[in-house]
Amino acid sequence: MEIIKINKLVKEYRTNKRYTGTFGALKTLFSKEYICNKAVDEISFVINEGDSIGYLGPNGAGKSTMIKMLTGILVPTSGDIQVNGMIPYKNRKEIAKKIGVVFGQRSQLWWDLPVIDSFELHKYIYKISEYDYRSKIEEFVELMDMKDFLNKPVRQLSLGQRMRAEIALALLHSPTILFLDEPTIGLDVLAKHNIRKFLRNINKQKNVAVFLTTHDLKDIEEICDRIIIVNQGKSVFDGHILQLKKDTGTMNKRVTIEFYTDPGQLQISNAKLISDEGVRKKYEFIHTDIQGAGVMKSIMGIKHQDKIKDISIEEMSIEEIIHKVFVNLNQNIEIRV
Amino acid sequence: MKVYIAFCNKSFIRGLSYRSEVWLRILGNMVLIFIQVSIWKSLIGNSESNGITLLNMITYSVITTSVMNLLMTRVFLSIDHKLKSGDISTDLQKPISYPLYLFAEQLGVVGFQVVFTTIPSICISILLFGIQYPDAPNIVPFIISLLLAMIISYLLGYLIALISFWFLTTFALNWTITALISIFSGSLIPLWFFNPFWANLTSTLPFQYLGFVPSAIYLGKVEHPYYIILEGVGWVIGLLLIVNLLWWRAIKRLVIQGG
Repeated sequence: MEIIKINKLVKEYRTNKRYTGTFGALKTLFSKEYICNKAVDEISFVINEGDSIGYLGPNGAGKSTMIKMLTGILVPTSGDIQVNGMIPYKNRKEIAKKIGVVFGQRSQLWWDLPVIDSFELHKYIYKISEYDYRSKIEEFVELMDMKDFLNKPVRQLSLGQRMRAEIALALLHSPTILFLDEPTIGLDVLAKHNIRKFLRNINKQKNVAVFLTTHDLKDIEEICDRIIIVNQGKSVFDGHILQLKKDTGTMNKRVTIEFYTDPGQLQISNAKLISDEGVRKKYEFIHTDIQGAGVMKSIMGIKHQDKIKDISIEEMSIEEIIHKVFVNLNQNIEIRV
Repeated sequence: MKVYIAFCNKSFIRGLSYRSEVWLRILGNMVLIFIQVSIWKSLIGNSESNGITLLNMITYSVITTSVMNLLMTRVFLSIDHKLKSGDISTDLQKPISYPLYLFAEQLGVVGFQVVFTTIPSICISILLFGIQYPDAPNIVPFIISLLLAMIISYLLGYLIALISFWFLTTFALNWTITALISIFSGSLIPLWFFNPFWANLTSTLPFQYLGFVPSAIYLGKVEHPYYIILEGVGWVIGLLLIVNLLWWRAIKRLVIQGG
């Protein structure tokens, strides 16, 4: 079932033109000139129930603007937008009952009060029945390991604990979709891992759709099946991570072979030498259909087997892939629209 | 409705999270009352001025200072903070009436003030200076006038908050409104000491409901208390209309321009 459907969505911001310098500052006070810039430029996509989407893009690519439009606090300039069959900005309060929102840099918890008090308020805000409320709290306390800090004031929590509480709060009223704007920002490795595991869980087991923006690509890799990459308001990629790898030629595997002594020039079938330090040679397997076993076969085929000390096979990390995409973008090469 | 009671309740409890503040507030209130009482002592002494006795003025000072604790003009601080941090967008995402939510929150704050600041201050004042008690027929209009003070102050504060949607800062507005309230509410100098021009001007403004009106009704210095209350209700309706109109426009602006 489709829960989000947007078509050629555009959001234009008008800002007062600013002038530099002292006189410029004075001029700014009286000027009526505007600068228009498109934060979202004709983006279309459909999100189905239970999807997990990573919404990626450099700073200022219009990611938060998209979340604000989807949650109904910004009105698009043009285009169609539907969430749960409703137009968000016309049904803000109705939509709110079906969605959960977490902003990594903002808090919905009451700063001076114990965590449980914020949960209790949400029970009233979303009119959650006592039974549902109790069972949800029990479930989240278990899943997110919140027992230790449920009765502590929010200001005394660590960032990791606070983020767990924020996510639990956003899920309390059983939304069909959860929006997260940089949920792991500023967290330590362990806390990030826990958050990701939890998000993956609720996505797969509870079938809650996840829409996530982040700069930490590990988040995407561990949580999302599908990524949408935006740049300067435009969507430049929409699909599965595997598809992105194929499109950018980053399916290739890299093999580093270490020898006891330098075997000299060495050819490996299907592979290209990319660096040669004598005893340490790096190859890249070009054909996308070559899996680990194929790579092994090729290596078994080379001469000087007895001189091989160590072999490592690596895939390009998602960071490298996205880096490559962004670099390509800056050179104005569009991968696919 | 339950949700607003819950907000009010949580906001009340939140007041308790900083204990030292409770003592400081009582101290601040007492200093304010003490200064006013000293001034009136030296000005009026044992004589009478325009039929006003020293006991009248001590009572007046205690009541206006207490009424100040009830005022909710500070609601704009909460919105100002939320506008700057962008938290307003998370608040707007909740399926509740935002103005009612803010009112409930302020009500909790005021409730806390009354229990932990105002009532102790009044008790101390009775012990230290002694105050006048109201005549029976004035009690009901006095209580209504207290409610009016709360509602009008809330609406004024909310109005400032809404104007700040356009200016994105409340500093200048805050400055202005504080000055207007401290003079025209009659908290410091009762309106009966104003000259006719200023007294007339003041009686056409809503600020008198934030200090002078409740105190004067308490002291029985208002000839027709229900008439002035009716006028206050008129102000409430007028302000409600303005606030609703502005709120509608502010939201429109927010959703078009972004937070």
